[in-house]
Amino acid sequence: MRSQTFLPFLLLGLFSLSPAFADDQEDKFSGEISTQGTLVNINGNKAKFNEYGDMQNGLYSDVKLKYDDDKYYVDFYSQNMFYDTQSYDLEGGKWSAFKFNVNYSEIPHNFTYDAQTLYSGAGTANLTYPTQPPSTNTGTWNKFDYSTERKDYSAGFKIDVLKPFFLDFSTAIDEKSGIYPIGAAGTSPGGISLELPAPIDYKTNSINLLAGYVRKPLFISLGYFYSNFTDSNTSFNFRNPSTINTVSATDTYSMPPDNQFYKINLKGALSNLPLNSKFNVDLATADAKSDAVLRNSYVGDVAGGLTNIGLSTPFFNGEVITNNIATSVTSKPLSFLDVKLFLKYDEHENKSNVITITDATQTPATFQNDLFNYRSAKYGTELGFQLPANFNFLGAYTYSTISRERDDIPNDRDNLFSAELRWKGFDFLTARVGYERLDRRADFQLTDPTDINTFIRCFDAASKSGNTYKAYLDLFPTDNFSISLGYKHRDTNYPDTILGLTGDRDDEFLIDVDYLINKRIRLFGSFDYEYARQDQFQRQTVSAVNPSLPPTSTDFNWTAAQKSENYSYMAGSEIFIIPEKLTLRLQYSYLLADGSVDYTYLLGANPLPAGRTQDNIDLPNWDAYRLSSFCIKLSYTVTKAISVAAGYVYERYDYNDAQYDGYQYVPATTGTNGAYLTGAYNNPSYESNVGFVTLTYRF
Amino acid sequence: MKIKKIDVWFFSLFTFSLLVFLTVIFQQIAVADDDYAGIDVCRACHQKNYDNYLKSSHSKAAIPGNPANSNACESCHGPGLAHVQKAGAKGTGMIAFDKKENPEMKQARCLACHHDSRIVPFWDLSRHKINGVSCSDCHSGHSGMKNNLKKAEPELCFTCHASIRAQVNKQSHHPLKEGLMKCTQCHDPHGGSGPKMVKADTVNELCFQCHAEKRGPYMWEHPPVAENCLTCHVPHGSNHGKLLSSKPPLLCQSCHDATRHPGTIYTRFETFSGSATSGKNRIIARGCLNCHTNIHGSNGPSVRGQYFIR
Repeated sequence: MRSQTFLPFLLLGLFSLSPAFADDQEDKFSGEISTQGTLVNINGNKAKFNEYGDMQNGLYSDVKLKYDDDKYYVDFYSQNMFYDTQSYDLEGGKWSAFKFNVNYSEIPHNFTYDAQTLYSGAGTANLTYPTQPPSTNTGTWNKFDYSTERKDYSAGFKIDVLKPFFLDFSTAIDEKSGIYPIGAAGTSPGGISLELPAPIDYKTNSINLLAGYVRKPLFISLGYFYSNFTDSNTSFNFRNPSTINTVSATDTYSMPPDNQFYKINLKGALSNLPLNSKFNVDLATADAKSDAVLRNSYVGDVAGGLTNIGLSTPFFNGEVITNNIATSVTSKPLSFLDVKLFLKYDEHENKSNVITITDATQTPATFQNDLFNYRSAKYGTELGFQLPANFNFLGAYTYSTISRERDDIPNDRDNLFSAELRWKGFDFLTARVGYERLDRRADFQLTDPTDINTFIRCFDAASKSGNTYKAYLDLFPTDNFSISLGYKHRDTNYPDTILGLTGDRDDEFLIDVDYLINKRIRLFGSFDYEYARQDQFQRQTVSAVNPSLPPTSTDFNWTAAQKSENYSYMAGSEIFIIPEKLTLRLQYSYLLADGSVDYTYLLGANPLPAGRTQDNIDLPNWDAYRLSSFCIKLSYTVTKAISVAAGYVYERYDYNDAQYDGYQYVPATTGTNGAYLTGAYNNPSYESNVGFVTLTYRF
Repeated sequence: MKIKKIDVWFFSLFTFSLLVFLTVIFQQIAVADDDYAGIDVCRACHQKNYDNYLKSSHSKAAIPGNPANSNACESCHGPGLAHVQKAGAKGTGMIAFDKKENPEMKQARCLACHHDSRIVPFWDLSRHKINGVSCSDCHSGHSGMKNNLKKAEPELCFTCHASIRAQVNKQSHHPLKEGLMKCTQCHDPHGGSGPKMVKADTVNELCFQCHAEKRGPYMWEHPPVAENCLTCHVPHGSNHGKLLSSKPPLLCQSCHDATRHPGTIYTRFETFSGSATSGKNRIIARGCLNCHTNIHGSNGPSVRGQYFIR
């Protein structure tokens, strides 16, 4: 008998003794044990169905135990015991003196089951195959699952007995293991691509210490956080099928390096200042470090020969120091006015070592790694007015600057204005309208007209102007009825952009309803609609980089419009057939995401490539999917101590995407069409039926 | 001596103010003495709320200043005798902590005891406070739940943040709706100095708490990654895998339009079923990530690392 199956019977046996124990302890000891039997039928992709779950045929157990008296308390809560989603939480303490917690939880993340690879050794740091070239008969390939699992262990202790002083200590171990898909170019430039099952074996240890004082008007705390990340595989080897040299064809991939991070944080707040003011400060300094042994060669070409490189030092010592300062004053100088003034400064200083690389196959042959630094400063104000007739007005202005060590756009200056008007003129209604305006000015530095980068504006830093409009209406005419309506429009334009993202917009409409009729029937539902669009202007070129030049068959501009129209609705009902005894719950939900891409060749008088028209090049399915589910559940409270429930859940997920239509594991074995894939993320559609019966016992 | 007219006015105003002051004071004293009904009277009608009160920390006498050490129910709700005398009628000055009441008044009621809590020193910085959200919108001493929350997360947060709920329901999401994560693992609803009330000074610092492998520091950095994870990712949910704000190759092409393949148009003809004779492996499956997986940074050799393919 498996532990998952045995456990509920064991627990039921133990807790059958609980009434006697509970009597001894009067009302101090209480608990609940819940066992759910589940039958699952899945057609299609089991990994997507269980992306963050472990739903299978079996018995699932949850246990809650509580001890509570006038001085001490202890809570224990466990869920899904012995399954991949299990968690255990033990918390307790002495009221107003101390608290402790000990926790364990698991989080699975399943990507693709039964993926297949030409390699043997999936999940290890060495992938190989027997003969060159590898077999393209996928029937002979090795199967494995793309899946990771997190295991989090944590514990903490909080001391309040020395009030107004307090002390918190916590520690955690986070382990993550499994197999994850990564990609590698077989050779570069122009080679095939390889999808590789990479081993994940991470461990992060952390501690957090916080000491402080809190008694009005003063709060002050000093915190220390340390995190140590270790990776069991900071590199891994794979035989490279795009090379023909059977001796030297083992390639190496760099994986995340071990790193250490610490942060010291001082926070303070002082209230009761003049004009009903309060001063807040948050100062922090942090240091992240990593070390890596650098490789002095790489598999260079189809022949599989090693390209040797020169390194100024074989060790990379990464170090990034971040400093953060945030101060603010909040004030209420007049009964109808709230004021906030704030300043925030963030600094990211890269102190890593600069490595000089000499690679004779490159132009130029000697080059270095760039160290990225940035500083941002932000200051502004928020003013809140309580106006007559139950109006509230909130106005805000923020000015921010960012300076970064980047060749294209080293500086940004943002002006952000926002205003919101709230009205609560009736007891049963709240209405809000808001507007936000962002203007970003970017200093673009590149001027070489022969370099295409001179025409590109990266959207993360490019000049832009954005508008956001929003309106919300919350109605609650009775205690049993509420309805919320919301609308939000956001648009962003990039006025200086020549090549890159030129604009995006997003419209969203929301409705929520909840209605309890005569305390017997509850109706609830929601509707969400969203339309999103992103426009790009791009250039395909071999030599004439300037987008304003007349198009030729090889140098021309093109546009892409990514569109996504989503709508979802949910409707449900709870019917209290016998109040507090017998309840029926019904729920249906539906979500549709209709994504597409419209391409346009801007070729002028030049013909489109053979067979292509402006219409047949588009991608009509771009992360398009629909998810529908139906649930029915009947709950019956037999006695105060015992309740049962039974239900059924149907769910269907249909995914359709141009990048996976007609999936092939080996599209070609050479050239820019070539790839050896493993099926990662392919065909995630599924249909599932889940039946369940739950028995709950309380004492 | 002639009394000036202004002195008469001043004397009258002073006397009136004094009388008002004394009246208020005596009313307060009278409230303390006479207007409380007592917990047993409350229980007679509100048994369920009473039961949940006993489960909450508010009922623990070991906590100094707790309602259990003063007027129990009426410590928060105010004196209830008038409410009792009018057979449970509304409009007797009691605080029900419902939506119709002034949020500042409700906050003040809670903060009267909780101002010395380490949880709320930065409440004044919270967007919740500015937007008129009060403690009782999320907490209730009668919920019987941990931390006196009215509902479990994330449903509690979705009560107001319906737009976030819509995102979380998308196909790519953190495991919130599966119950394996909580909103409060990333956000502090009680305020702080981080952006969007996150529990860190910067977005990247927050993300690295769980995704420490992305922290580096790497020899070859991707500047937008080092500056802000949200350049490419949306944290609450996306139609695109990996919580991406757009889909490769178009996401990557938004910035990388150099000669050779970044600037090439990849259409339906370059997909698996298309008839193109080159460029397919730049759009099929994971697009650019088929080769450039190490986009968060690399320690790979030479240009293999520089272009994030090793």
